[in-house]
Amino acid sequence: MTFDWLDKFHHDMEKEPNYAEKTLAAYRLGMKAKGSIAGVVVQPATNCCDAARLLPAGKVYHPGEAPHLPLPDCPQGRRCGCVYRPVMTYARTDER
Amino acid sequence: MNSIANVLARIPLFKLYRRFGWPKMLPLNLTLSPSPKCNSRCLTCNIWMKREDELRLDEWDKVLASLGRTPYWFTISGGEPLMYPHVVELAQLAYQHCRPGVINIPTNAILPTIPDRVERIARSCPESQLIINLSLDGVGEKHDVIRGIPGNFKKFEERLGQLLSLRRQLPNLTVGIHSVVSVFSVGHLDELIAYADQSGADQFITEIAEPRVELDTVGLPITPSAEDYTKAIDRLIAYVNSKQFTGMAKFTEALRIEYYKLVKRILDEKDQVIDCYAGWVSAQIYADGTVWPCCVRADNLGNLRNHDYDFKEIWFGEKIKEVRRSIAAKECHCPLANASYTNMLHDIPTLTRVSAKLLRRGSPSHHPAVPRLGPIAANDVHK
Repeated sequence: MTFDWLDKFHHDMEKEPNYAEKTLAAYRLGMKAKGSIAGVVVQPATNCCDAARLLPAGKVYHPGEAPHLPLPDCPQGRRCGCVYRPVMTYARTDER
Repeated sequence: MNSIANVLARIPLFKLYRRFGWPKMLPLNLTLSPSPKCNSRCLTCNIWMKREDELRLDEWDKVLASLGRTPYWFTISGGEPLMYPHVVELAQLAYQHCRPGVINIPTNAILPTIPDRVERIARSCPESQLIINLSLDGVGEKHDVIRGIPGNFKKFEERLGQLLSLRRQLPNLTVGIHSVVSVFSVGHLDELIAYADQSGADQFITEIAEPRVELDTVGLPITPSAEDYTKAIDRLIAYVNSKQFTGMAKFTEALRIEYYKLVKRILDEKDQVIDCYAGWVSAQIYADGTVWPCCVRADNLGNLRNHDYDFKEIWFGEKIKEVRRSIAAKECHCPLANASYTNMLHDIPTLTRVSAKLLRRGSPSHHPAVPRLGPIAANDVHK
């Protein structure tokens, strides 16, 4: 795909210290304001920690209930490659 | 005076800078994003959900003072930039410190205060060309659905009429229509072309919807397929080719067609295609003072609050070197219009084709100060 590089690049970016709080707050606002966001998924890195590997694949969370990234005890800290992705109503193909 | 001749004279210097790191140059093309807040709910953008510790006006003042008279092209982006309460003052600060040739502002055309703000900016920045591009992603209800705001199209038409009236009094005002070509709009680009053609707007420009870190759209299925984009954009190219342009418009129209062809190649080849100068010639300052080479990658090059608001400290610092290496190594590629137009100005084959096209059609017969439909397209943003 044309933008595969950007997906990888985004996974590899160092996270801001408040990455989880800020991103999830944005999604909460998006849902409250009735945007087309339906929830959030955690997209694990290919080299993610064991705890991230155990997260249910593709689970759509309400932003208030999503696990905070990096997960506690993630050995990669702010270099954790797991990311949040917003789930948009127009992109949703299944209900979980 | 920050003139187009001055810009052209700097091109060989930027080429040297990108290749050898010398002479050190500040960017020509700068995007300021004072706030992510927006009253649209576009399917192609999630920036409106973000909240930032935004730079205050006194902070912007110091940042812009540190740039001096180097930027030629400012884009004031957002969010919805004309909703930002201090947008007039921000434009005035940019004018006071930098005297840019162009101040470009995209808008969703929703707020009734827009014409007043535009007029104040145009009147207080008389030596800059002020380009206001009104977003239009469909005609009628199609627009409202894509932008997520019922009644948006009606407001667009109202605002367009008001701004076109203003334009008659303000020689430095250009009013354009800007469409994002996404999976949601690619099927009705013909309607948009026809609408823009009879609208009275000075220009109709398009940009492909692509994922950006800035907009939190990485991984979202908003970009049309190369096949769908090619079909649609070839009709736009044919339309532009069917028109007669003179003066500066002839040059910008030729450059615009080059941009559309470049996008097709980037989608097809999945490669930078021509050298990218983001991080050398163009940059963006985000709402919280973070400097980015571009809004697609949004690498954090440093925050101006931590550098005494001196842009040069970040631009000539250590952190940017790795990002420049990555861009030069073609570790990224994208069709971002804002960067692409500056990139094309630094690409000899592109300039050669544009020049050949101008010569084939003969010399410009006159030079209208404000070219009409089809001219300048550089530096649009899709929000």
